[in-house]
Amino acid sequence: MATRVKLRSGEHQWTADVAADTVTLADRDGGAFTLTLDGAWTEIERAGRRWRGAAAQSGDTIWVQIDGEVFDLAAGRGARRSAARDADALTPPMSATVTRIAVKAGDAVRQGDVLIALEAMKMELPLRAPRDGVIAAIHCKEGDLVQPGTELITMGTGVFSTDPPPMGTGVDE
Amino acid sequence: MIRRVLIANRGEIARRVIRTCHAMRIETVAVYSEVDHDAPHVREATSAVAIGPAAASESYLKIPALIDAVRKSGADAVHPGYGFLSENAAFAEACEAAGVIFIGPPAAVIRRMGSKTGTRALMAAAGVPIVPGVTPAAQDDESIAAAVREVGFPALLKAAGGGGGKGMRVVRAESEIGDAIGAARRESERAFGNPTLYVERLVERPRHIEIQIFADTYGNTVHVLERECSLQRRHQKVIEEAPAPRLAPRVRAQIRTAAIAAARAVEYVNAGTCEFLLEGEGDQARFYFLEMNTRLQVEHPVTEAVTGLDLVRAQIVVANDQPLPFTQQDVVARGHAIECRIYAEDPRTLLPQSGRLLRYVEPEGAGIRIDGGVREGQTITVHYDPLIAKAIAHGDTREIARERLIGALQGFLILGLHHNVALLSALLALPEFVASTAYTTLMEERGAALLPPASSETLDAAAALAAFVSPPPPAAAPPPAEAGGEAAPVGVDPWDALGPVVW
Repeated sequence: MATRVKLRSGEHQWTADVAADTVTLADRDGGAFTLTLDGAWTEIERAGRRWRGAAAQSGDTIWVQIDGEVFDLAAGRGARRSAARDADALTPPMSATVTRIAVKAGDAVRQGDVLIALEAMKMELPLRAPRDGVIAAIHCKEGDLVQPGTELITMGTGVFSTDPPPMGTGVDE
Repeated sequence: MIRRVLIANRGEIARRVIRTCHAMRIETVAVYSEVDHDAPHVREATSAVAIGPAAASESYLKIPALIDAVRKSGADAVHPGYGFLSENAAFAEACEAAGVIFIGPPAAVIRRMGSKTGTRALMAAAGVPIVPGVTPAAQDDESIAAAVREVGFPALLKAAGGGGGKGMRVVRAESEIGDAIGAARRESERAFGNPTLYVERLVERPRHIEIQIFADTYGNTVHVLERECSLQRRHQKVIEEAPAPRLAPRVRAQIRTAAIAAARAVEYVNAGTCEFLLEGEGDQARFYFLEMNTRLQVEHPVTEAVTGLDLVRAQIVVANDQPLPFTQQDVVARGHAIECRIYAEDPRTLLPQSGRLLRYVEPEGAGIRIDGGVREGQTITVHYDPLIAKAIAHGDTREIARERLIGALQGFLILGLHHNVALLSALLALPEFVASTAYTTLMEERGAALLPPASSETLDAAAALAAFVSPPPPAAAPPPAEAGGEAAPVGVDPWDALGPVVW
């Protein structure tokens, strides 16, 4: 008696049928995976190939570690496209110094344009426009030390297209 | 005699210092920012004092807050750990003014070491080899160009006002001089408020060899062997080991002697590390003084593993104005040790990660030491260095240590955020690491090739495991349709990766 689970991670999606100690992935070759608990770990086997891993779920995110590699998957239907940060939260991911501001209020930008460069841990970190838009306001200046939670730039919605988003951008069917 | 030590730090180094203090029956005082109030180092200390909000500048870097905590807690000594204020002369001076012992060198020594060009001159005068270089006669373009030609190609333009790779430009040919000077000057001005440049010869594909030195107030200065830290990325060490493999005995002896000379030249007291670049092979290898760090290093456990010494204990003994608890003859290497640093960072984008540790289980085994800073259930924030733990493996041979470390990483369970364990495992298996032919620019040269993407088979296995642990979805009612799509427009993550920005 299997239960069906839908999962996604980045560009990948799976439909899994989970039984007592096997998992079968729809639309994937290779047969069923056999899973055996071993203390804190789980032995995974399919067609002679073995892995050793562990997983835990928190909210809608399932964290998996297999052979040292880390994966985060979203469970269930209607999961948003995996992006740990809200696309509107233009706040630094860590304490950093603003080294260059490449835009000013009123500029139109395209998704992916570098708006600001920060410096942290001896490396540069670009902030890219998460979508097409207009710079509404800039809340920092070059040389500022900024902390997580500080909004650096506010983007406006001035040039948003009213067309529906193209297929495959993550809004679930 | 020191009776109560305040540790002006957090995470794994705070825990490590607490461990030795308690073994010496010395009380400890932990300090913590608002987000660290139930961190392991706070729970393990004898007592704890709150020092401010999450931002390091408002807490662990705030000298008045720390001195206040010293007074409140009745501590008679301060251990600064590494990073934060450990090499801050003003902090050492503030401790001295407050009448507490700063466990480290005197503030005057720290202050003296703060000038890079001044230290170079001191070392040269003491007969310690330094990277061949020229200080330009003046700072106009032609004078700097003349200095570059004098040094020869390839040359390295460097900022006089600071380090860490900022304001540095490589010059390989006459045609590159003009642009390099302009770029180095601008970056240097921006980073340090000082556009002054000097020129060094570029040491290509160097190995990073450092010597642990220790000195007491009685004139005893010894080395505690060397470490090799050649696997680095952007001047941050990733894997370290002791002793340095593949060093001709004569070169090994010379570099240790040079480090002691360097320590004497600056009248050093307590623990410090002398860093060198090494080029060439065998007896022809040449080494050059790079810099001296006036604190305990992150990688000190590999030295402890091969010598059996407790370096924090020795620091406290020296700070008590007692003679060093070991002589040069007592310093003997037994076997080999390797350390790797486990960071809460995406192994490919290098972005630090935050999240709650859903599972955290350290590995155990023969020759394995784990210096961890976190516990299961703790939330890792992005306010501080994202070090989760150091994994150290010791063995009778380098190969045994390497295999033990790989095994330890396989058994290290960390769930709840991205980390670099997979990258570390790949590095330990790199042919250059196995053969000890790595050099400091190797990781940057290889880039993304160091850790290829996971195979689709492994991804499927991950999905199978995720499905296995996931509770079954609620039965019956279909999920609500998302009327008209999400209100917020779908965008992409605005932060992609740490690294040079291409405009």
